[in-house]
Amino acid sequence: MTLTVPPSSPDSSSELPCSDPAVQQAVDRLRGEYAGRVRPQLVVRVVRESRRDLGGSPVGALPELVERLARYRLGMHVG
Amino acid sequence: MGIGSGSVDVSAVRHTLSDGRVLLDDVSFRVGEGARAALVGENGAGKTTLLRIIAGDLVPEAGAIARTGGLGVMRQFIGSVRDGTTVQRLLVDLAPPAVQEAWHAVEAAELAMMESDDEPTQMTYANALAHWGDVGGYDIEVTWDTVTVAALGVPYDRCKYRELSTLSGGEQKRLALEALLRGPDQVLLLDEPDNYLDVPGKRWLEERLLETRKTVLFVSHDRELLARVADRVITVEGGTAWVHGGGFASYPEARTARHERLAELRRRWDEEHQRLIDLVRTMQQQAANSPDMANRYHAMQTRLAKFEAAGPPPERPPEQKVAMRLRGGRTGVRSVIAEGLELTGLMQPFDAELWFGDRVGVLGANGAGKSHFLRLLAGQDVAHTGSWRLGARVVPGIFAQTHAHPEWQDRTPVDLLWHGEPGRPGVDRGRAMAALRRYGLNGAADQPFRTLSGGQQARFQILMLELGGATLLLLDEPTDNLDVLSAEALEEALAAFEGTVLAVTHDRWFARSFDRFLVFGSDGRVYESAEPVFDETRVARAR
Repeated sequence: MTLTVPPSSPDSSSELPCSDPAVQQAVDRLRGEYAGRVRPQLVVRVVRESRRDLGGSPVGALPELVERLARYRLGMHVG
Repeated sequence: MGIGSGSVDVSAVRHTLSDGRVLLDDVSFRVGEGARAALVGENGAGKTTLLRIIAGDLVPEAGAIARTGGLGVMRQFIGSVRDGTTVQRLLVDLAPPAVQEAWHAVEAAELAMMESDDEPTQMTYANALAHWGDVGGYDIEVTWDTVTVAALGVPYDRCKYRELSTLSGGEQKRLALEALLRGPDQVLLLDEPDNYLDVPGKRWLEERLLETRKTVLFVSHDRELLARVADRVITVEGGTAWVHGGGFASYPEARTARHERLAELRRRWDEEHQRLIDLVRTMQQQAANSPDMANRYHAMQTRLAKFEAAGPPPERPPEQKVAMRLRGGRTGVRSVIAEGLELTGLMQPFDAELWFGDRVGVLGANGAGKSHFLRLLAGQDVAHTGSWRLGARVVPGIFAQTHAHPEWQDRTPVDLLWHGEPGRPGVDRGRAMAALRRYGLNGAADQPFRTLSGGQQARFQILMLELGGATLLLLDEPTDNLDVLSAEALEEALAAFEGTVLAVTHDRWFARSFDRFLVFGSDGRVYESAEPVFDETRVARAR
């Protein structure tokens, strides 16, 4: 178990800044992964929604959590 | 609530064993904020049971425990963990309950993620991590890192999956103590925290306990540690507990005074009881002759009944002082002579002379050959060069650490005494029981040796030395498994022993009773010292 991440900072805002590293990293990676299968705008939206749903999670763990959830949701979308 | 604001109140606690015997009754005491209280008593008197009741592991049959502040508990088995428990698991188990619960939730969520990646599972995992952060889990991980660096010299991430069984007993103890002393709990219950620690480790523990602002209740048999750390002493004896409000230095005197007071109260009660019985008898005769006396007779009968119903005051606890009779005897002036002696591969050659009546402490590094030296003098086969011999009429008797007598394990004390051996005639059951009674072992006379407690086994070995007529006592860590009271009795017996005593020990209190010291250095040098030396480090040897 890897728990050594900074403590959480609650964030329930749905308007997430693009500079949010958790969002940015996930978008960059998933855009490439789903290129040609999903529109880039949809990838951004799914990632942002995932980030919003995971509000309250420890900041250090967010990049991994967000990417994982968004990948699962995109996978369900493309079947 | 800040550190140091914890306390424990034990009131009228009663505990009965499964065989119906009352182990503890009417136990009441308070360990106030910032106190450092020692819990002492004979082996088997109920110290660990009392700690378990305070820790909430056992529910008392009667009475109550009240506590303020978080509770941290170090169990006695830490130091001897040989299963697959990891460093991480130990640290989790020593953390506050909320942290433990959050850690288990994260672990369960991680396991679930390995099975399924669906959305509910991911959200459960995210929630578990959020809860871990909310209970201070990330801060605790920072503390754990400090703890492992202090105790083991490595960061938490590099040792968290390491099994405790790969650590020495001292390292296990140190790890647990660092975690509790640096952790958030304000009240610490420590069951024999000094076991497995070498003398520098014990000194470290003393300093840490003296500087902590936490409230500490600890069990220890180390009299030096008790004297330096405890600001009050709680004694479990006679089925109850009492508190000496001072340190260990004034404890023996306080205990004797208490016993005398209890004996006096009991004597007065017995006298009053007899007086009332006599009065009832007199009035019974008078009532037969005079109807006027009948009412007074009945009133006196009622008074006697009430007096008896109230019961006598508590008995003076059975005398735990072990009546050891180490007689020894005159031998040649020189008891032991060693010239150019070297135990193969363990030390450099050394000379030594022990005189009749000498009290010599053998100190030094672990692994330097101290126990081998004793075994050699006892006549056992130990590889060596150089020469050694015993003086005229010197009969060696060795007291080894427990489990050194595999042939005794399944035999009972009475059986062992009855059979005898070369140099020690067998005795009948009556004499065997009388001898066992002097050592406080009559209750265990018919139990297999292996079922005796460490203290009982130690006392039995000393009885065997007495009966064997040894004039040179070779003692290997004799106080290691003795409770405080038995250790005091052993010292008294040794003081009265007419003969020579050579003892390997790391018990600083016990070492004070010796005249001079033979120090086995970690560099292989053996030298004599007038003062005890406890700073020799462990011998480094390729493994």
